[in-house]
Amino acid sequence: MDTAGQFETEGAVATRLDDAWVTIVWNDPVNLMSYVTHVFQSYFGFSREEATARMREVHERGRSVVSTGPRERMEVDVQAMHGFGLWATLQRSGE
Amino acid sequence: MRGFRAEGASAVAVLDDEERLVVARIVADVALLLGADAFGEDFGAPSEAVPEVDDPFAYLRGLEESIREPSDPAILRLLPNAAPTDREVADEFRRLTDAELRGTKVRRLRRMWDQLSGGSHGADSDEWVVPADEALATAAALTDVRLVLASRLGLVTDDDAERLHAEIDLATHALETDDDGALPVDHERVWLGMLYQALTWLQETLVEYVSGANEETDV
Repeated sequence: MDTAGQFETEGAVATRLDDAWVTIVWNDPVNLMSYVTHVFQSYFGFSREEATARMREVHERGRSVVSTGPRERMEVDVQAMHGFGLWATLQRSGE
Repeated sequence: MRGFRAEGASAVAVLDDEERLVVARIVADVALLLGADAFGEDFGAPSEAVPEVDDPFAYLRGLEESIREPSDPAILRLLPNAAPTDREVADEFRRLTDAELRGTKVRRLRRMWDQLSGGSHGADSDEWVVPADEALATAAALTDVRLVLASRLGLVTDDDAERLHAEIDLATHALETDDDGALPVDHERVWLGMLYQALTWLQETLVEYVSGANEETDV
């Protein structure tokens, strides 16, 4: 715990920029609306309503930001989405 | 063909011999695209020789090449660019995740192939049995197969998918009325399109099963 705490303090300045990344899921003609909703629910732990809203955003607006956090965390989320066959990308927040 | 339904602790669909063979073949083809060894090569071998995990490191062969962005658009759709506007981030992501993603996808395809090839149920059963705890993984594998078919069919937008349905309706009508001389029918495209539609429908019923099972446990 002590060591981890120290790392956090020391690394805080260096990783500040890395903290603001997002995972985006993009629309595609293959993935079923019911499947995308279920993946959002089961992987991100969204409620059914929340998952449905994000799925609709993907379908109607072409994309939705599904998670925010440090780059490493977003890489994990994007990998999971690719595992499910969803088209996901990561980028710095606000880009 | 009958879609998936809950039966005991499994989702069960019904496909006749030919349907099962066609689906199993495309599943094996997609695994080949991902760099797996051919499924079914151990077919007919003594059953005790079938390993629990089918050479999990097979996909590591030729790792150097697999880290480059795939040139086949179908493979690129299975392993997409994770950062189209940032080459460095995209390359790093591919380097870190390519082998693991290929492994996950091949494993799921292999399980699906086993289910279709009647591993535990005897090859003469018409049932495609997906145990409840494998249902989401099977739905994911079905997505990968549909992504490859969609890429081969040139489906890029939602409109393309709509057009494909119209095209198949037209072609089946032309074939039924023996009018395919007047309307040129691309038989291979229609066949692939119909396979795509059938897998879409099967996946829809499987996802319905998965979501339904979830709601029950939520209550």
